[in-house]
Amino acid sequence: MNIKALNKKLKKQYGDSVSASLEDNCIVLRGSLDSWEDVVAAGLLCAKPHSKCHVVNDIVFTGAEQLPMRLPELKDAALDGEKPDVLIIGGGISGCSIARELSRYKLDILLLEKEADLALGASGRNDGEVHPGIDLSRGSLKHKYIRRANRMYDRICTELDVPFKRTGQYACFGNKYWLPAIWLHAMWRRFIDGIEDTRIIMGNKLRQKEPEINEDIAFALSNPSSGCVSPYNLVIAYAENAVHNGARVSLNTAVTDMQVENGKIRSVTTNRGTVYPKLVINCAGVYSDEVARMANDRFFSIHPRRGTNSILDKKAGRHLAAIASIVGASTPSKTRTKGGGILHTVHDNLLVGPDAIETYERENTATNAESIERVFAKQRITMPTLTERDIITYFTGVRAPTYEEDFIIEWGRKTENIFHVAGIQSPGLTTAPAVAEDVAHEAAQWLEAEENKAFDPIRHAPPHLAAMSDAERAELIAQNPDYGVIVCRCEEVSRGEILDALNSPICVPTVDGIKKRLRPGMGRCQGGFCSPLVTKIIAEFLGVPLTEVKKSSASSPIVFESRKGGSKDV
Amino acid sequence: MKEFNCIGCPRGCLLRVEEENGEFTVSGNSCENGRKFAISEMTEPKRTICSTVKTVFADVPVLPVRVSADIPKDRIFDVMREINSVTLDKRISGGDAVIENVLDLGVDVISTSNILNEHIYIKTEGK
Amino acid sequence: MFDYDVTVIGGGPAGLAAAISAHDNGAKALVIEREERLGGMLKQCIHDGFGLSRFGERLAGPEYVERFMTELYKRNIDAMLRTFVTRVEKLPDGFCVVTVNGEGLKKIYTKTLVLATGCRERTAKQVFIHGTRPAGVFTAGTAQHFTNRLGVMPTKRCVILGSGDIGLIMARRLTLEGAEVLGVYEINPTPSGLTRNIHQCLYDYDIPLYLSHTVTRVFGADRLEAVEICEVDENLRPIKGTEKRVECDALIVSVGLIPENELAESIGVSLDGHTGGPVCDGQLMTSVPGVFSCGNALHVNDLVDFVSASGEEAGKNAALFAAKSQRRVNINIGGEFLYLVPQQLDLEADNSKITFYFRSKKVLGKSTLRLKVDGAEVWKRRYPLLRPPEMQQLVLDMNKFGISESSDVRFEIEVAE
Repeated sequence: MNIKALNKKLKKQYGDSVSASLEDNCIVLRGSLDSWEDVVAAGLLCAKPHSKCHVVNDIVFTGAEQLPMRLPELKDAALDGEKPDVLIIGGGISGCSIARELSRYKLDILLLEKEADLALGASGRNDGEVHPGIDLSRGSLKHKYIRRANRMYDRICTELDVPFKRTGQYACFGNKYWLPAIWLHAMWRRFIDGIEDTRIIMGNKLRQKEPEINEDIAFALSNPSSGCVSPYNLVIAYAENAVHNGARVSLNTAVTDMQVENGKIRSVTTNRGTVYPKLVINCAGVYSDEVARMANDRFFSIHPRRGTNSILDKKAGRHLAAIASIVGASTPSKTRTKGGGILHTVHDNLLVGPDAIETYERENTATNAESIERVFAKQRITMPTLTERDIITYFTGVRAPTYEEDFIIEWGRKTENIFHVAGIQSPGLTTAPAVAEDVAHEAAQWLEAEENKAFDPIRHAPPHLAAMSDAERAELIAQNPDYGVIVCRCEEVSRGEILDALNSPICVPTVDGIKKRLRPGMGRCQGGFCSPLVTKIIAEFLGVPLTEVKKSSASSPIVFESRKGGSKDV
Repeated sequence: MKEFNCIGCPRGCLLRVEEENGEFTVSGNSCENGRKFAISEMTEPKRTICSTVKTVFADVPVLPVRVSADIPKDRIFDVMREINSVTLDKRISGGDAVIENVLDLGVDVISTSNILNEHIYIKTEGK
Repeated sequence: MFDYDVTVIGGGPAGLAAAISAHDNGAKALVIEREERLGGMLKQCIHDGFGLSRFGERLAGPEYVERFMTELYKRNIDAMLRTFVTRVEKLPDGFCVVTVNGEGLKKIYTKTLVLATGCRERTAKQVFIHGTRPAGVFTAGTAQHFTNRLGVMPTKRCVILGSGDIGLIMARRLTLEGAEVLGVYEINPTPSGLTRNIHQCLYDYDIPLYLSHTVTRVFGADRLEAVEICEVDENLRPIKGTEKRVECDALIVSVGLIPENELAESIGVSLDGHTGGPVCDGQLMTSVPGVFSCGNALHVNDLVDFVSASGEEAGKNAALFAAKSQRRVNINIGGEFLYLVPQQLDLEADNSKITFYFRSKKVLGKSTLRLKVDGAEVWKRRYPLLRPPEMQQLVLDMNKFGISESSDVRFEIEVAE
């Protein structure tokens, strides 16, 4: 589409408030609008799926105040003057998997994450599905990576000691008249795309395997290669293995600016000092376009999209053994990614969701009642026994799509020493292992790096005693009695395991950090019993009073001092 | 006439008190305690308070305490200030006084737990 | 072969009363407690008002429960502290309780079980409070633990949701300790707690109570900064347009208790959807013979005196159940059985018409089913064909074979050559 035609369309929709121009092979939108929906719609109107000519949406949104990026409180010079070979910005699945793959080379790798822990963005706030790639269109980067990456999961999760289950996935159809078309689609995917195991399963057969699937489901597309993984555990495992192989991770570290000279990043400013990297890898998720802007290399825009998932009690886990979703059901909201599903997690809970809502707030992970109601209304079509009463908690993540709805995995266009891994949304968790291999390879070649012969692909997760046999468990307790002191009764987590997590390669001594790694607080009491105990263990470990222990960030204390033992005048 | 609920027991009777020439007539009560409470509320309302005192012992950072008898309602926060000023350094038993005759009110602040004296705690402290 | 007649899981007020009364009724009893100290939740319930009906005194929680602890120590009743029950296995005539503690794993064989596992609190998410996930959202019990056992303050300025007794008690407690309680919000049109607690915990301290109000959202990315309050309609749904933002650093929720019965469910105890506790008979025995329930695990009580009373009842009945000569004998299977039902005989009962159901492990041609008692064949039947999909049924008079508790009773299938 040429730019004239685009401007004509835009004028029809938005009058004179928006205009488009072609600059450096990007479609740049300018103007101002007071509805975020319109801002996004204008971007989408100009975007061509998977195109390399990206939309840069500079339309000013006047409808609400946009908050600046959340920054860590910490300020010091710990990194000042550092000259790493590679600086990775962002501790999500992309950044951490790339750090690990890069640690196969003799390189000084530094990963920065602005939050108090890894995987606090979209990487830790998704359903953890490992997708089969049945619904991706050819020509996209998503499609390019999905099959290769899906197959890598068994090896990666074994190496990194992360629980992974190929539970299988059923895309359910209510109307049997679609059968021929879907059958054709499946055959095409099977023989052309190499998804060898995809097949049609009829409703009655499906209900033999999953008895609680709705009677009205006529048939489903079955994909046994689908699975699930704990997404944040995978990110943490990748990062720990990277650190084990010499990479460094700096939490609470935000990039605030870059100095670019002659098409090259000279230095990167952070709240912990100025860093002089040879190469920057941009894995900054919802802020990846901002990082590109700092690098003088902005050629795409991110339009954040919120999704809410509910987690159901383990007792509800028996309702479904696999992953199920409904296709083609009419939903009240306009959704752009496929509309979520029901998933049996690696921890045997059920996870329901997500939805997909456009938002101007990149970091607002607040939940709302409407999202949960909407998701349940939809997913009950697949499984009528689903009930909101089983919900133990819910969370919202913000995805980072581009207007072209595909990944950006490429070198900077105007700045030479930056590599962008941006626009990563579903199935970005699935594709990460393959993407990381390729990006690491490219970067290593560019840096002319030698192979790191000492690279050890194996990461040992701390022991998980509740999953062990009595004999194994007894043996470990004999070695360390703390393994026998249960702190979290819902998830059966011992004091010894918590101390292990605190002594792990990337120590995150916060209540949320421990919760993510070991699950105390993720069970049905949601930390009611164990949070004081976990707080106490962290305080003892750090040698600080309870009042110094944080939930997550530096400004999230759990408790305050009491007035006791003080003077009478207070 | 004044109406208020009795706090003597979970029944929470609705008490009605009439005052005539300094004499009180109570109705709505189910027991003698209710009548006494009603009159006390009219003349000098009293309450009990329960709190904790700080200790020097790491295993038991605070020890639960209460007043040995009700204190005037308007002295509650005065007594709290006294309680908050204590740092206990003796392993006392349940019932032992932490503050004797607090603020000359004729009541003690007493420990309500044996926690400082239980063998298990002494054992875990490694003494 | 049994270590104990009665094993009590949970060392709170219900469990302590159960163990003491089991002991006093002649049983060898054991208490298993997860924490390092007995007493359960009463350890942190430092307010007074406990034991009015039992002792005629207004005791603080620790005082009340320590009286039971003293009784337990006097009797030298075994107690395992800092010990977690990881699972329970059902045996033909009792239970094997598998425990974990600092010394390792241990299997405890017991004739009966008393489940005194108490309850947990409903959380903010379970009443669908939305918004961010900051520090500063506590259940009342968690806030109480921090305040009363660890001596730190969960808040300086808070809102309490729910006018249940724990919420009211915490409103007073936090006020006494210098925190500002901006209000107690109750979704229902009437308070949930005892009237006397409304008076002595709220009115005495000028803490406002807002009925037909609820908290719908929390704000704050790090520490809680504010909550959104809404009025609710007669169906308890928030009314649009009544939202109000209240600045505070904590939200304390006291929105109900849920009996803890995950262990009970794991051994097949059926639960009552209304109470959340086990379905029980007059002796507080659950649907699984030999398993008793008491205290807040059975149903949520408002007075600890009732909790102790139900513990005593359950403990006594468990002791009596354990003492009753359990004349049971196992029916063993050998050879080509897939299974046989029933697996036991109660020798106290009438066994003249016992219906057995069984399946063979695989397809068998001509075979003979034999019943042997202490090795001697007492009965047999021939079958031309046995197939696993076809369940077989047979009725036998089991009284006539002279079976006693020590008998080896065995069914065998023998395939003809």
